[in-house]
Amino acid sequence: MAEGMLQGKVALITGSGRGIGRSMAILMASRGASVVVNDVGAGLHGETTGETPAQEVVDTIKKAGGNAVANYDSVSDWDGAHRMVKQAVDAFGKIDIVVNNAGILRDVMFHKMTPEEFDAVTKVHLFGSIYVSRAAAPEFRKQESGCYIHMTSVSGLFGNIGQVNYGAAKTGIVGLSNTLAQELAKYNVRSNCISPSGNTRMTQSVPVRGTEEEKKAREKKMAATPPESPGILATFLASDLAKDINGQVIGARGSEIQLYSHSRPVRFLNHKGGWTPELLAESLPKLAPLFSPVVPSKAWASWAPD
Amino acid sequence: MAEGMLQGKVAVVTGAGRGIGRAIAIMMASRGASVVVNDVGAGLSDQSTDQTPAQEVVDTIKKAGGQAVAAYDSVADWDGAHRIIKSALDNFGRIDILVNNAGILRDKMFHHMTKDDIDSVLKVHLYGAFNMCRATVEHFRKQESGVFLHMTSRSGIYGNVGQANYAAAKLALVGFSNSLQLEMERFNVRSNLISPSANTRMTQSVPSANYGGAEAHAARLAAMPPEGVAVLATMLASDAASAVRGQIIGARGNDIILYNHPRPVRILHRDGGWTPESLAEAMPVMSSMYTRIAPGSDPMKWGAN
Repeated sequence: MAEGMLQGKVALITGSGRGIGRSMAILMASRGASVVVNDVGAGLHGETTGETPAQEVVDTIKKAGGNAVANYDSVSDWDGAHRMVKQAVDAFGKIDIVVNNAGILRDVMFHKMTPEEFDAVTKVHLFGSIYVSRAAAPEFRKQESGCYIHMTSVSGLFGNIGQVNYGAAKTGIVGLSNTLAQELAKYNVRSNCISPSGNTRMTQSVPVRGTEEEKKAREKKMAATPPESPGILATFLASDLAKDINGQVIGARGSEIQLYSHSRPVRFLNHKGGWTPELLAESLPKLAPLFSPVVPSKAWASWAPD
Repeated sequence: MAEGMLQGKVAVVTGAGRGIGRAIAIMMASRGASVVVNDVGAGLSDQSTDQTPAQEVVDTIKKAGGQAVAAYDSVADWDGAHRIIKSALDNFGRIDILVNNAGILRDKMFHHMTKDDIDSVLKVHLYGAFNMCRATVEHFRKQESGVFLHMTSRSGIYGNVGQANYAAAKLALVGFSNSLQLEMERFNVRSNLISPSANTRMTQSVPSANYGGAEAHAARLAAMPPEGVAVLATMLASDAASAVRGQIIGARGNDIILYNHPRPVRILHRDGGWTPESLAEAMPVMSSMYTRIAPGSDPMKWGAN
């Protein structure tokens, strides 16, 4: 295998038995990384299936001449998160890259969302990302290098109907990344978020509503959005070529790479002597022109990324 | 009491026994709202409970001629959250405004943070907001009106050293509010976020070294009474703010700060798709638009005034 941009590095990729995680694992291995392929083999909603997709990915990587081991722990289990980091160190001597990719969906309108549906999604995405990051933090500090890549989503950055649980977890991850980017910068550790689009089991499960024309447009978009694109971005971000990229949110959708802004103040109002609610109500027109429009994620990307 | 901008409305304010929540409850009551003052009376980072703070706020409101009742349940508990909302219906016949304000801190450097530090902060801030909104949402749908206000934080928007747990919880509420707003739009329900800065027990607990010494820290805090946040919350809860939906607005002393939302600001396209290598060559095009990594104090290094 030729010298790759991740030669000598060790990556832990959660939820990499299928979809986006799988293509990341295979791509990173093709660029020289040794990979811990973590996947509990759950169904889309987190249910037990008895399947072992992680081993299939490991086999694929090995057949191509790469290094990989499978891990079946759950990211939402504190001890499991620590075990998968330990496995990377035991198998390959260190850990350089953590990709928090594992996720499940429990889409339902908010007024019907059960505590269990909220908890299950939050546990995997948000707790899972925090726990795995936390498990790797002492290693990153010790070796004074490391790279976190977390998956956020347009469903949180913009909001999405039927996904209050998922949207919340996904922006929570940005808050985590923002903090890690600052806290660990002095140890030469970077933390970035990817907002992925990929035609996978997960996105295929989202019900398609609307007119025939809208359905066709969505099909065209999906066809132009293979799961490889986020992996390409992740592989680059994990490499030393991206050493100056820290604390960013970057989207990958087919042939498109999108840099996101962060929330920042766009207007200050100051009233000497203090506001009252009534005075502030009168000043609302000074803010209104700069309000961010409330639109679902699909509204900003109506075109196919081909 | 004169006719106020919240006349006839019923508000539930969580964590209203002290600090920002207390100021919100008192100001909303002064503008005519009937208020459920919810507070478990917890220590800042321990499990103790004390009914005194909520009752004192109720007494203060009543003495000024307003209407209020105390509720002591924990927002982190599903049944407790439903009891708090039921208290609004039992005492005042409806609910119009929910302020998700209850919060705790467990600040620690990330590599020392325990499972309990993470779980307990997320339980109160995020699960608390979920439980409270779920207990409220059927009523808002039925009456085709209602206002959700959630507290986010610059600790999440910017990130903050020692607060990975809190930052995650606080920015989770942004995605939560964004999606809730989209869903509830057709029921005439609004969901907005406040990013508060104020002198409270919570902010006093932050090590003063972060703010350039104890004296400077004390002076900054003195210029940010919790009433600054209460003014914004009261206005946002009123019909005067009926066009304000899905926004993030900060309040700090006499400052009101409108935040934008994250949006794609630059798009790269490559026919036939990218490889990691071709992307590495192209990425410098993006670099001029990277967001600068800085703590939440960055945009407002001057004191509130």
